[in-house]
Amino acid sequence: MTNKTKGVEFPTPVSLKKTLLLALPMMLFTFMMLSAGKMPTDTNKIISLAVTFIFVNTIFFLMLYREKTDKYRAILFISYAVCFVISFISNLIEIRGSMAISQENLLLCKTPFCHIVIPMTIIPLALSKTIIFPGTMIGSFASIASMLIIWIGASLALGRGFCGWVCFFGGLDDGFSRIFRKPMIKHINPKWHYLPFAVLLVTALTSAMLLTPTYCEWLCPYKTVTEYVEVTSIKILIQTIIFVALFLGLVIILPMLTKKRTQCGLFCPFGAFQSFTNKINPFEIRINQVTCVKCKQCIRICPVFSITEETLNTGKTRFTCIKCGKCVDACPKGAICFHVKGTPLTGNADTFRLLFLYPAFLFLVTMAGSNIQDAIIRIIRLITTGSMF
Amino acid sequence: MQGFLLGLSNGLVCVAYCAPVLVPYMLGEGRGVSQNISLTAQFLSGRLLGYLVFGVIAWGINKTILEALGCRELIIGGAYIVLSVSLIIYSFFNVRTSCAAEHINRYFNKVKVLSPSLLPVIMGFATGLNFCPPFLLAVTNAAALDGLLQSLLFFFMFFLGTSLFFIPVPLIGMLRGFSALNTIGKIAAGLIGIYYFYSGIFLIFGGIKKI
Repeated sequence: MTNKTKGVEFPTPVSLKKTLLLALPMMLFTFMMLSAGKMPTDTNKIISLAVTFIFVNTIFFLMLYREKTDKYRAILFISYAVCFVISFISNLIEIRGSMAISQENLLLCKTPFCHIVIPMTIIPLALSKTIIFPGTMIGSFASIASMLIIWIGASLALGRGFCGWVCFFGGLDDGFSRIFRKPMIKHINPKWHYLPFAVLLVTALTSAMLLTPTYCEWLCPYKTVTEYVEVTSIKILIQTIIFVALFLGLVIILPMLTKKRTQCGLFCPFGAFQSFTNKINPFEIRINQVTCVKCKQCIRICPVFSITEETLNTGKTRFTCIKCGKCVDACPKGAICFHVKGTPLTGNADTFRLLFLYPAFLFLVTMAGSNIQDAIIRIIRLITTGSMF
Repeated sequence: MQGFLLGLSNGLVCVAYCAPVLVPYMLGEGRGVSQNISLTAQFLSGRLLGYLVFGVIAWGINKTILEALGCRELIIGGAYIVLSVSLIIYSFFNVRTSCAAEHINRYFNKVKVLSPSLLPVIMGFATGLNFCPPFLLAVTNAAALDGLLQSLLFFFMFFLGTSLFFIPVPLIGMLRGFSALNTIGKIAAGLIGIYYFYSGIFLIFGGIKKI
């Protein structure tokens, strides 16, 4: 689906019929996934199922038809993050009566597991044969086993694309980074690009030392919008202040000022850890050296600092690339494309993009679907009864 | 022999406690395996010094150090502060480019030139005074001994037993080809320093309250 003019490839519009045909498998998959195999009888659930189904499939259809990846991914990804927060907090309040987790619940291992803890559990697991996170292994809401299975699958299929398509927090700083048209802070010292790796090193080592997930205890900004430990001591108060300060700084203020995903690109240890999975993943983003005119638009817009002048000259991105497709959409010469490792660079850009889009979108819907549905149900309840619960 | 066996059985935990200090420092220095061996030796000699000093203190105050909780917290808190200051200075001031803290940087670099092994020894010494679980076990065992020499020998053998687990640590030098690791190591050293600073302050305040 490309025109070649003087060696330059331009996308040509995809026919409506072909797009519908390509979108059909996703419609079937998403219907099965969202309905969990049976039609709900409750009116609110029927409405939420219909709205979610139409919403996600419209997004996928537009991705194929307009041949823009990030433009439509971002809409679903940001909605997913917002709905996750609404759904998660509502669930916590419904079950516990509060967003705060009590010491009793911590001791009973009733804490929902989150993928960000994964890199911190590996060394302690090897040393002590125990998972240091106070969660349950199977059977409960956000159990350790279910999250690990999703993580392994998504890592094999997408690599660090996990951060651009699957992470339920990523949409928050992604959303805030899109508020202003132009960045107010344009230059960030490249040394800061290594901070996530330093945070990863520190949290992995200190978790092994103290046998507790230190990132969750001290540094997770998302505690502010999910759950936090009941403030019962000065230590917990300090931790809570750190969480809120990091959330305001890294998830709201800096993304707005820099137009970058600063939490993901400058701090998140899971993101740093996940970068290594890009090495074993078949998909990558490549820059065609022949067609690239070095306008540096991709460097300016990359949300996680994965394209630099050095990488531009090598035709590759840094291994921290989250495969969001923003650079692919923005390149004025169509020189950047999704690519399958070990295949020729030219000729199959559309096929490669489709091969990536199917698993990526499927994972996104798998994670986002239930959260969006639940959030819609709660919003309907809020409107009709005045309460979300 | 008892001290050696105790060290052998708990050495992995000892490495887990020392690694957050030693690993970022090694990465930050970006040296090869052979140079890292001498760096580990310097760190371990500092650690041994810490153990022996503690052995003398434990013997000197007639085995009551475990009961004197406030005193214990002051000692560890002080050690943490020394450790954190070393790490923070190493991380943020040991830079070649000019910065606002140029005079501190100049002073620090002068110290480093005068005695290049001083920093790892200080770090080793401060972590040696750390009340990690294996160290507490060693103290409890040493309390049953009578003479100073016996106490010192016990700590020395304990040190030998745990030190065997440090043998793979210099292999970090194999990663020195990745120049980015220097930056990562230095930033990580600073972050660890901040953590120890916080822990030290809290311990000292706790110790003062108890006294």
